[in-house]
Amino acid sequence: MNEQQDILERARQAGQPFKTPEGYFDGLEDRLMARIAAEAQPETSRKVRIWAVLKPALTLAAMFALIFGMGYGVLSLTRTLGRGEVSTDVAGYATAEEEMIRPASLIDYYQSNLAEETELDEETIVNYLATELSFSDLAEIYAQSY
Amino acid sequence: MTDQEILQLYRSGEREKAFRGLVSSYKERLYWHIRRMVLDHDDTDDCLQNTFVKVWQSLDRFRGDAQLYTWLYRIATNESLTFLSRQQTRGGSLTLEAADRLSTDTWFDGDQLQRSLYKAIAKLPPKQKAVFNLRYFEEMPYEKIAQVLETSEGALKASYHHAYEKVKSWMKEEIDARY
Repeated sequence: MNEQQDILERARQAGQPFKTPEGYFDGLEDRLMARIAAEAQPETSRKVRIWAVLKPALTLAAMFALIFGMGYGVLSLTRTLGRGEVSTDVAGYATAEEEMIRPASLIDYYQSNLAEETELDEETIVNYLATELSFSDLAEIYAQSY
Repeated sequence: MTDQEILQLYRSGEREKAFRGLVSSYKERLYWHIRRMVLDHDDTDDCLQNTFVKVWQSLDRFRGDAQLYTWLYRIATNESLTFLSRQQTRGGSLTLEAADRLSTDTWFDGDQLQRSLYKAIAKLPPKQKAVFNLRYFEEMPYEKIAQVLETSEGALKASYHHAYEKVKSWMKEEIDARY
């Protein structure tokens, strides 16, 4: 056994250096049983308390969910019916718009719309343009068309 | 009351009587084991009570393939290690501070050599400290320590050897610095 081992051996042989408060071990069983009983009791009452607190909140939440569900159902139904009408309108509007845009020139306009609506023949139109418009106006219209 | 008597009593339905017998048989041994790990009396009291509460809660699941003695030491050691790791996560080692305060501790009346010993042990990593204490103070066979710490005997022997050397060296340093 060398000198360093002696240090550890001497420390061990010096005995127990720790102390406890007087009577600490005497009532340990009773203290433990009291703690176990105390920890077991609130657990049951805590469960009851939690349910008592949660019950009205859960009822309220369920009612809100029901009302929301019903409202959502009614709204979705209404929206679905309305959306059909709107879509038809939009389609009609788009068609009309396309019709308005389609004529690319004055001649086209006359040919597609005006001519169809008034049922004028080509000769009448030419005569009208020749008499009512000046040469420069006709040239300008022609230039804009191409 | 022997371990066998405690378990028979428990299985016969006398739970509280069996538990009281168990506490009575093991309270002092487990207290000193925990005390050497955490040093402070109040912390030891908390850990010891937590140990026995866990024993009460899980005694019906004790299968008996391990000895009651090693099972109890395992719970007590785990409780101490949990306490020490909680201290470390809070920043710093309170066990080291507690070891420094031993000279003014009301519940410690050891001499300078013993203070040096506990100060050196406090520097060990928690699990190595458990190995050292079980072997050095309790002279527990490696086979039992292996059951308590669920580690191989070979690893334990190496761990104890390193711990022993470190403690010796730290004690010597402290004593040399003092004189």
